[in-house]
Amino acid sequence: MSTIRLQRMPIAPAKVSFVLRIISVLLALLTTAIVLWATGRDPIALGGKVISSTFGSTFGLEDLSLLLSPLIYCGLAVAVALRIGAWNIGAEGQFNFGAFCAAGIALFVPGPTWLILILMMVAGAIGGALWILIPTLARAYADVSELITTLLMNFVAMLLVYWVATGPWLDPSGMALATTARLPVSVPPVWGIVHWGLPIGIILAFALALFFTYTRWGYEVRIAGANAGAASYAGMPVKTQLIGVMLLSGAIAGLGGMMEVAGTVGRLQGGISNNYGYIGIMVAVLARAAPLGVLATAFFMAVILNGGIILQSQGLTTHTVLAVTGLILLYAAIGDEAAHYKVLRTKTGES
Amino acid sequence: MDILAGLIQTAFLAGGVLALAALGEVLAERVGVVNLGVEGLIALGAMSAVATVVGTGSPWLGLIVALLVGLGAGMVFATATVVVRANQVLCGLALTYIGTGMAATIGKPFSGSPVPATFEDIHIPLLSDLPFFGRAFFSHNLLVYIIFLALPLALHYMMFYTRHGLNMRAVGENPAAADAAGIPVMKMRFWYTSLGASLAAGAGAYLTLSFVPSWSEGVVAGRGWIAVALVIFAGFRPINAVLAGLLFGFVTALGFVGQARNWPVAASFLSMLPYLGTMALMIVPVITWQRMRRLMAAPEGITQPYYRDQR
Repeated sequence: MSTIRLQRMPIAPAKVSFVLRIISVLLALLTTAIVLWATGRDPIALGGKVISSTFGSTFGLEDLSLLLSPLIYCGLAVAVALRIGAWNIGAEGQFNFGAFCAAGIALFVPGPTWLILILMMVAGAIGGALWILIPTLARAYADVSELITTLLMNFVAMLLVYWVATGPWLDPSGMALATTARLPVSVPPVWGIVHWGLPIGIILAFALALFFTYTRWGYEVRIAGANAGAASYAGMPVKTQLIGVMLLSGAIAGLGGMMEVAGTVGRLQGGISNNYGYIGIMVAVLARAAPLGVLATAFFMAVILNGGIILQSQGLTTHTVLAVTGLILLYAAIGDEAAHYKVLRTKTGES
Repeated sequence: MDILAGLIQTAFLAGGVLALAALGEVLAERVGVVNLGVEGLIALGAMSAVATVVGTGSPWLGLIVALLVGLGAGMVFATATVVVRANQVLCGLALTYIGTGMAATIGKPFSGSPVPATFEDIHIPLLSDLPFFGRAFFSHNLLVYIIFLALPLALHYMMFYTRHGLNMRAVGENPAAADAAGIPVMKMRFWYTSLGASLAAGAGAYLTLSFVPSWSEGVVAGRGWIAVALVIFAGFRPINAVLAGLLFGFVTALGFVGQARNWPVAASFLSMLPYLGTMALMIVPVITWQRMRRLMAAPEGITQPYYRDQR
């Protein structure tokens, strides 16, 4: 006779976590399929439709790439902050404010296109960093949870963008409602309607991966994220690093907002962030905060998001995707914990 | 004077959502579980309450259905965080996403249309006829009195004056010691987390059946997150939580009055007030009152899962 017993290990083996990650994603998709089936829809046909219209045509692939770009920026933003143990739930707001600052430059500063584009990138990044500044300082100097403060700033940013787009910056031609005029400059395309935002995001992911792996600063950030006490005992400037990393996180999200407003949408309007900031959290968590992993998970989430848009014709809303995202997150969190357990067989009487 | 009375009356009405959701969060956090899913729970409760009222015409039935839906969602959340001991932050965010997404999907058919029946105001005789503030304080629907009077007092008594309350707080402060003293740690955590979630969904029912009276996708508008922040500001105490809810109801009411009276500020800026106010309340007291920081500290064992075999 032998009994089966579970033992919890302090560190989860990377291989087990990875396999459980994939299983949890599949389980979430399976749950979604069951719910769709139970409400009288055909999940296999719908899934087939999503895949064929996403990958089966140039249009689908272009749409996918346009969704991929903001998800990479937001995912990287959240991942960078996670590296030092900070939750940036405010990528949505930083994205909005970055877009706002960039649009301001485009609408009101004259100059050659290349210069304006560079200025817009700088303005977007600085705007994003500014938007996370107060939560950052509050976390660093007063130990106020950045999780809630960054989130609250989202609502302020969205109201601000909505206000300028319907009020002071409203399209003077009267052609469009609730949006600014078309920006005079735009991010140049690389392939079809896909603009430079995507390759720049991918380059950024590689740069961050190299930074975390090969620089002293990146190494110290990883240590500070793993054990702030030990890092500070070893003489590392934990507080300075926290501030620097959180501001970098905001800047990345802000840059994403700039690419969105100047590349994809072309105008500043309310709701420009389209939940990218929230789904970015998901992208970063699924990638375990690894910059290169973000590229893979952002691609996966872009497919899901694109699927959601296609399924809108089936009586579902864009928010349905948010529910599916939540389901994946829930299963992933459970899978993470399950990865810590080892199944032991012991003979009775022995232990 | 009339403006002030009107402000206070609206403050109770608007603050009730935050107060009830914050009360639920107090219960969960006192046993050591942070539930970041409040936003999603409010959405679920708000939508299911409206759906019930559209079907049956009874607001009380709507409230009960919302409470039950919240209890069910809370039990799922508690299973993940307390039984399986998965990361509370991730599970909470997941609950927010699932709740918001499901409510928007299921509630689409009746989005934007007014609710056929809402809670009726009760005018307390004599008191509501008092000059100036009679109406502001004594002319609300029954839920307002439950949220601002009965529930916080009952919870305060339970938490600070009964053996059960002492046990409950012990579970949040030091689960290992509580376990050693024979208190059922897991059971306490599971049920108070679920109950807290139920109250959050109840806050949603209050939102759509008494305050806004209609359901639409963006109706929750971050109230769940404000409620989570208020719990910290309130030092995890039920009476403080309700008062903080009232304060934010007042801030919201100020925005309404500003819009109605055409103050020279854009409506968007007035709508920012609750969020900016919450930020200020989270940051300023921590910097200015060091003593309060200790007094109002979070339960020691908060967000930490409890493993009996690893004490």
